[in-house]
Amino acid sequence: MIEQINNPVVEVHDLMVSYGQNPVLWNIDLTLPAGNLIGILGPNGAGKSTLIKAIMGLVEANSGYSKIFDQDLNHVRNRVSYVPQRESVDWDFPASALDIVMMGTYHHLGLFKRPGKKEKELAMDCLQKVNMKAFAKRQISELSGGQQQRVFIARALAQQADIYFMDEPFAGVDMSTEKALVSLFQEMTATGKTVIVVHHDIYSAGKYFNWLIMLNMHLIASGPTEKVLTEDLLTKTYGGKLSMLTDIGELIKKSDFNPLKN
Amino acid sequence: MEDFLYFFSFQDPNVLMVVIGISLLSISAAMVGTFTFLDKKALVGDAISHAVLPGVCLAFMFSGNKNPFWIVSGAFFTGGLCTYAITWISNYTKLKEDTVIASVLSIFFGVGIVMMTQLQQTGNASLSGLDHFIFGNAISIVRKDLWVYGFLALAIILSILFFYKEFKVMVFNRSFAESVGLPVKRLEFLFNSLMVLAVVTGIQAIGVVLMAALLITPAAAAKFWTDRLDKMLWIAVSFSLVSGITGAYISFVLPHMPTGPWVVIVLSLIAFLSFFFSVKKGILTKWIARRNYQRKIHSDHILKALFGAREKGITNLSVESIFNNFPGKSFKTQYSINKLINKKYITDNQGSISLTKKGLTEAKRIVRLHRLWELYMTEYMNIAPDHVHDSAEKLEHIITPELEQKLDKNLNFPQADPHQSIIPRDQDKS
Repeated sequence: MIEQINNPVVEVHDLMVSYGQNPVLWNIDLTLPAGNLIGILGPNGAGKSTLIKAIMGLVEANSGYSKIFDQDLNHVRNRVSYVPQRESVDWDFPASALDIVMMGTYHHLGLFKRPGKKEKELAMDCLQKVNMKAFAKRQISELSGGQQQRVFIARALAQQADIYFMDEPFAGVDMSTEKALVSLFQEMTATGKTVIVVHHDIYSAGKYFNWLIMLNMHLIASGPTEKVLTEDLLTKTYGGKLSMLTDIGELIKKSDFNPLKN
Repeated sequence: MEDFLYFFSFQDPNVLMVVIGISLLSISAAMVGTFTFLDKKALVGDAISHAVLPGVCLAFMFSGNKNPFWIVSGAFFTGGLCTYAITWISNYTKLKEDTVIASVLSIFFGVGIVMMTQLQQTGNASLSGLDHFIFGNAISIVRKDLWVYGFLALAIILSILFFYKEFKVMVFNRSFAESVGLPVKRLEFLFNSLMVLAVVTGIQAIGVVLMAALLITPAAAAKFWTDRLDKMLWIAVSFSLVSGITGAYISFVLPHMPTGPWVVIVLSLIAFLSFFFSVKKGILTKWIARRNYQRKIHSDHILKALFGAREKGITNLSVESIFNNFPGKSFKTQYSINKLINKKYITDNQGSISLTKKGLTEAKRIVRLHRLWELYMTEYMNIAPDHVHDSAEKLEHIITPELEQKLDKNLNFPQADPHQSIIPRDQDKS
């Protein structure tokens, strides 16, 4: 069940990605509508994070392309925000929560310019939106996992983008924070922004998202939640990997080069 | 003392030149080093500082003299080659990065030593003092050197200041930097070049190998004193300046003393002091905090003992009976009793101790936390009532008022703990 739409905000065309010798995404073709809260669902190792990393140009695709607002990413970077996984950075870095959120304003500033009062006010507003204003001056390693996650989301808000890719924003976050974040995301989509979230809890996915992408190394479904959240598609997504894909992957790993790379 | 005044009054233009030179190179090394340290590239810095030696020797072979321009070029070439080799080998083989760094470092340094020994065998008079490049001699800096090394150091300092915020994002969160469109590959190339240059500027004054210490140690020591990047930079720079100038001074007073090792000794001393005495993260601070905590626990236990007696209807305890509660700890107990009297938690009426009003409130609070936690463990965590005492005994000292409220709410303001003891409240009569 893959629903394609007209005038998509994100278009992924025949995208194939490998990590080293290991193919992780097979020929993904999808289009996403604007103003939706979109969840990417799938088991561990399904390639959920890889999909958004490939769209953001952080991992190289073997073939295929992706477009945002019908353009190459480089032309629309100012309208796109990416929130990496919380564990991907060393939180012992000497910086305060405010420092990190300010990083979201850097690319509007350009080279050499230092952030000033305006940027600081924007950063404080964004901290306020995730209910972290009181922790602005706190060293980031002193924050709890959920608070660190909220700092990352505040940094994304400070980018003032139109489309947000978030890699596991609910990992290590308590229930009340998760709910607060979901309603924040819903407010954002209500104003026409698109929020795409990597998620792995099927039970909450139905409540949170109005569009779902189901992935398990290949695309299983992409469409409105009420259409794709079916027993059959969930079984296809979570009922184990296609054994053929695993076998082929093993075969490629053993060979001296990756035949899928050009 | 005379030497000291002569040196630090800078009346001798040669001394002034040496001090300017060593200051610039200390500042640039500390600034680059702060980012190197935070990027966990300390080992790469070490490898570079070994790998510049063959470059220095190559420069001699080609130019036949100690022209600083050639030396810098040669050192930059092999230093850069080493950085490139490390990245390339790590990317294209399955070898772990530490293995690659260790091998590349020793290969470059080994080749350097072979070349240097060979050069010294030739007996070329213009090559005397070649060994200064191993341990460094700040006093040998002349005007021509200062121009080359000073210019390089200044260029490094300005580059770091210009790209401060870009380097900051890149080091903290590379994928984010890439996602906002920063030219991360080019920035990384620039940073690696700065790292090589920072080592190169120090080869004459500090020596090839020891420049690694000037790169990393100031940052490592500064991290103990602050958790803000801008402050960390300034602290690292000051540490580096102090040790650089001290090293130069010692070489000035004792001309046979090489500068590099002295700089490293002073730096190590600073790092050592930071490690022990830093206000926030020092070993001493941690030790004091731990001791204070243990003292608080003991005071809490005395209050609890008095409260326990009160529950049985005894309002006073003799000092001896309190001592008997804590066998073998009479010294500690006496100290805690004195402290509690000072804080007006208890009064001592000719050897008979009783709780004051304030002490009673505090004792009730501790006992309440203990019993609330015991109840929480049995109710919510399904732990048998006879297994809950030990953890409650530890947690009663640290549960905050907010957590207490939450516990109370979750348990619906209970009356008694799992052992049917009353949970004491402030509004209770006794």
